[in-house]
Amino acid sequence: MKSIKRCQHIITLFLSIFLVGMVVLVIKINREASFYMMNSDDHRLGMVYDRRGDVLFDGTGRGQYTDGYFTDVGNLIGDDKGQMENTLVAQNIGYLNNYSFSSGLVEKGGKAAIYTTLDHDANRAVYNAYMGAKGCACAYNYKTGELLVCTSLPSLDVTRGYADIDNMESGTLMSKVMYGTVPGSTQKVQTVISALEIMGRERLFSKTYSCTGSFVNAEGKNIDCHQSWGHGDQNIQQAIENSCNPFFAQLIQDSDMPLDRIKSQYEKLGYAINGEDMKYFDIDGIQCERASTTLTDTGDFITQWGCIGQGDTLVSPMQLMMWQSAIANSTGRMTMPHIISKVTDVDGRVKKEADTEYSKQLFMPSTASTVRQMLKTNGANNYGWQVPGYDIGIKSGTAQVKEGAEENALLVGFVDDEAHPIAFCVVLENKYSTPVSAEQILTIMLNSLCS
Amino acid sequence: MSNPLAYVFSCIFVLLTHGTMLFNVFYNGKYDDVNAVFVLMAAVIGLDAVYFVILPFFKQQTYAVDFMLILILNMGLIFQSCFGGVEFRLKHFVTVIAALVACRVGYFACRDHRWIEDKRKLIWICIGILMGIILLFTGSRSMWISLGESTSIQPSEFIKPLLVLACATSVTEQQKKHKLLCFNVVYENLILFGIVACVCLFQWWCRDLGSIPTFGAIYVSGFLLRICYPKGKYSKKPIIIAVASLAVLAVIGIIVAPPYVRDRLFVDVWNDKNGNGYQQAQALIGIADGGWFGKGPGHGFLHNVFAYSSDIVFATISEEWGLLFSVMSVFVLLMIVAIPLVNPPRSYYHGSMCAGIAAAFSVQMALNIFGSCNMIPFTGVTLPFISMGGTSMAVSGLMAGMLVAAQSPVFKAPKKKKEQKKPLPAQPQQMQPIPPQQPQPLPPRQDAPSQPPVSYTLTDRRK
Repeated sequence: MKSIKRCQHIITLFLSIFLVGMVVLVIKINREASFYMMNSDDHRLGMVYDRRGDVLFDGTGRGQYTDGYFTDVGNLIGDDKGQMENTLVAQNIGYLNNYSFSSGLVEKGGKAAIYTTLDHDANRAVYNAYMGAKGCACAYNYKTGELLVCTSLPSLDVTRGYADIDNMESGTLMSKVMYGTVPGSTQKVQTVISALEIMGRERLFSKTYSCTGSFVNAEGKNIDCHQSWGHGDQNIQQAIENSCNPFFAQLIQDSDMPLDRIKSQYEKLGYAINGEDMKYFDIDGIQCERASTTLTDTGDFITQWGCIGQGDTLVSPMQLMMWQSAIANSTGRMTMPHIISKVTDVDGRVKKEADTEYSKQLFMPSTASTVRQMLKTNGANNYGWQVPGYDIGIKSGTAQVKEGAEENALLVGFVDDEAHPIAFCVVLENKYSTPVSAEQILTIMLNSLCS
Repeated sequence: MSNPLAYVFSCIFVLLTHGTMLFNVFYNGKYDDVNAVFVLMAAVIGLDAVYFVILPFFKQQTYAVDFMLILILNMGLIFQSCFGGVEFRLKHFVTVIAALVACRVGYFACRDHRWIEDKRKLIWICIGILMGIILLFTGSRSMWISLGESTSIQPSEFIKPLLVLACATSVTEQQKKHKLLCFNVVYENLILFGIVACVCLFQWWCRDLGSIPTFGAIYVSGFLLRICYPKGKYSKKPIIIAVASLAVLAVIGIIVAPPYVRDRLFVDVWNDKNGNGYQQAQALIGIADGGWFGKGPGHGFLHNVFAYSSDIVFATISEEWGLLFSVMSVFVLLMIVAIPLVNPPRSYYHGSMCAGIAAAFSVQMALNIFGSCNMIPFTGVTLPFISMGGTSMAVSGLMAGMLVAAQSPVFKAPKKKKEQKKPLPAQPQQMQPIPPQQPQPLPPRQDAPSQPPVSYTLTDRRK
């Protein structure tokens, strides 16, 4: 009988393995069925809403909307047509599936939806504020990480389809907020952070450099100042307010700023240095490019020019804004932005809710506090009349693009207000040919968000 | 028949199951002509009735496998007749009957373990002949023999039951050890290894790679029951060596596999859902679309996908009848294989035969179901008793008959003349002498273990 039992053990072994497989299969199918259905030609999509319940995307196709209703967020929210991959809908289409394994596809009354943190009214106001100019703007709550505004121009009305795709302007199908751009003098904020981390507050503030309008660096190349007659002797606070290029070139060339320490700090900030592979960070599935620059030698023009925010340096407006959160919170850690507030399934049950997340430590809290104060002083001294009514820390920038043929205006900063803790970045392309300034766009954006 | 009441209730259970399914087809099915449903009903219920009338003529200890068999076969007939719209599939009905006939053949061939064991060499020869047939008649590197425009057979399928029989062993055989170099070996085990190696290489050659795991599983079960038999407990070393060898062989197999096989092994079905991953992707979509309770008989779309009635049949059933029902169908299959756990086989030979059949069925089911659902590489084997395919159906029926035989065996006493010549230890330990030519039902099963051994213990033999 014992030998017969041995045969039975073998049978039990094979059947048990198969049974375990069946259990795994049923669990797998139950969990992944929604994904399978999204790969089917037959699916029913739900809605995407803004923070107040306004529709940003209608997957049912049954809603009636005015022309251009979704244009302000068209290239951020996207659609299910497959033309724009790096968009909220394309990356989270599984959440919009009005399907469950128990009830199947729900033709009507499905409650699968994505509730975003975006403010549709503010986005629309910012979009309109550009008055046809190109650029992008973003703003988020630096305490919670809720992305409030993310507008990129030119954009499209996804309800119109892509019949006219060949005539669309370059950049229409992408949210420029997520892609690298030349940061201009907004880069000097990162350079100041690096200098503070390397040499400390006392030493940095004790240094003064002279600006005569142009500086010949160790390589023998000129670094010109936007003020051709120069700024004279300045300390770091004055230099940041004046956005003085020669000051920063001399700071980079200073023996107290060794290259390896600069590299190390830039890497902590998230830069890909000297041609490293491009990295991305993820905002609810949307890929956002990380910064990149070239740092070869502190005496080299390319290094100094990069630290000033021109040349090879590229930073996405999103990342410029995120660094501001680390400064505004005085923690040295970025508040990670999110677009999705919550997700509901076909039955209306909440499947996912957003949590506030923070980056690792990028720089010391004391550095954050110092830079925060510097930017606030800059805001009070130079932007009080341009952006009235807000206690802001701010840094402007002018980025030379297309080999100097065009200049983009940038503004990065934060609002120091417990009720409206907003960090922002505004990019206005080809600023000399537009009827509006970056400061005006910023004012409209803040008015929309704080009203 | 020891318990007629149980027999009647089992018949009612099977009829109720089929009846419920047929009513579902009638009320929820997709059909243009209601006569198609009535024909299907007549075929299913008629076959049930005829089977239930004929079955008692075969004197068996238990009819459990038979009831399960008719249950799953007619379920399969209903499934197959509903794919893409209700229409009685005569061809599948014929294969169902073939499976039932094959079951009887398997039963009669294997119920006397001594008789079938004596045919061991003939089994080896048959395996060789089948390989020769494949070589000569299937054309270049193929596995099918065409018998006309729409009919073909797959000879390699018949190797499965033969290999099960070749791998099955008795107590006696494992005692015949011989000194080879410094090892005590059973020659038959070496021969068996050679046969399995030949079969696997042959399958490789004719590109029927999907069957290799099934053959491997049959051999593994036989191998384990052979090497572990004489000792009181499992010997770990040979098992570890065997498992390691299998793993190495599998890795080598993957490395030297043709490119198209490797593509299918490692395909990302969702990135290649219109290419190599098409069938699996569509199968998974179909299962998801069906949900727990299905879209209704005939309402699916998977009938538009290649091999919907064979290789991805589990998904096709799930789509139309629901995952719940398809899993329950698989459990009926499992119960057929698991019956030897409830009704223990009466001899070691029958036990090892059941283990081989369990290995073959469970691996084949796993390859079909898990492969089509993208849990393991998709190999394109059939689901026993359900998939469309005459050869597969007949062979599955044959193996089911072997299971029946293991639970209702006939032990014949050796002839007197031979008894005088042979020493006592040559007799099997569970043998129950009965008059020759008069098969009698054995005493109730639970008594069997308590019967004293006729001749000797294992220890005695080794001495």
